[in-house]
Amino acid sequence: MLTVGSLSRAELAARLSGDGLVLRTGPFINRIRSDVAPLIDSVALMYADYPVEPVGGFVDFHLELRRSGGLRRWYKSQVHFAYDGTTPFQPLPLAQAYPMLEWTMNWCVSHRAHGYLIVHAAVLEKHGRAIILPAPPGSGKSTLTAALLGHGWRLLSDEMTLVRLDDGVVVPLPRPVSLKNTSIDIIRAFRPDAVLSRPVEETTKGTIAHLKAPGASIARALEPARPACIVFPRWEAGAAIALEPLPKARAFMQVADNCFNYQVLGARGFTALGGLIDASDAYTFRYSSLPEAMALFERLVLGDA
Amino acid sequence: MWHLMPGQALACREWDGEAVLYNDLSGNTHLLDGAALDLLFALRDEPADAAGLAGRLAERFDAGDDDLVSLIDEMLAALAGLDLIEPC
Repeated sequence: MLTVGSLSRAELAARLSGDGLVLRTGPFINRIRSDVAPLIDSVALMYADYPVEPVGGFVDFHLELRRSGGLRRWYKSQVHFAYDGTTPFQPLPLAQAYPMLEWTMNWCVSHRAHGYLIVHAAVLEKHGRAIILPAPPGSGKSTLTAALLGHGWRLLSDEMTLVRLDDGVVVPLPRPVSLKNTSIDIIRAFRPDAVLSRPVEETTKGTIAHLKAPGASIARALEPARPACIVFPRWEAGAAIALEPLPKARAFMQVADNCFNYQVLGARGFTALGGLIDASDAYTFRYSSLPEAMALFERLVLGDA
Repeated sequence: MWHLMPGQALACREWDGEAVLYNDLSGNTHLLDGAALDLLFALRDEPADAAGLAGRLAERFDAGDDDLVSLIDEMLAALAGLDLIEPC
């Protein structure tokens, strides 16, 4: 199998600036074209283990990231994103090219992949049981995810939980984990083995760095998982650890609020979410200590919390 | 008298006395008390007013006879506000 890591830097650059790098992420085929040089090194580092598909086959998402033309090419250069010839985003400073690639790949899924109910949630699996963590920014979701990944958990997604409408299983989309601000140093200290992209400052979300997804999770990217728990995490300085059951009807409403496409799917989304809630125990979870939270998740996944 | 709004299929799920209901007309999802769901299913079977519903569903409500009709009246007004039922 051809992977990004098996391409030389020159080959990778030639694909990106030519017909495109055709990259498989989970169930999706992305064709990425770009003339932004700093993007090459980030893609080489973060996507080394991902399969590369031949040019000319079916593609789900056509993405293009281009440097500004004219004077802007030399002064405060920017990167422009185009999707199938449309430009849904404002251009961003050139230094933000790699986070922009990640955001645009997320945008493609959340706006187009309506064969799934897409929950704004991290999802991890161990012992065949998937735990879904829906949460708004600032809840500590990605920090907790990054910490668990160093301890035998499989990454299905850090950002988008894909619940297949046909059968209710969670389909993996393992991609780099987005860490923000203080989380970056927390994970560096907690997991010295972690591979992180170069932090990018002054984005709309503050300073951003991405954690490389585990190779073992990428290798199992076509293997779905059964949902078992839905946990709404909240990090709170100094808080005692607390896991409280959440009544299912209320969990339904809260997950619906955290979906990208629940309204788009209409009655199909209602049915899919009902199945997800049926299959899952739901909790609210407050924590301040990562080791305590990780120990609790070990018990939770064994049905022993 | 009230009846179920035409076009409402009453797709719903109930867990532990609370229910979620998909509103076919608005596309919204509502969190309802299980008793409200009983009112909707009763009105799907046949149109009724609050007194008639009170007679049919008394055991589902934890209220005295005098209060029950006014309680159901309030719930009917709320359900009408969601376009789930309408006067007939």
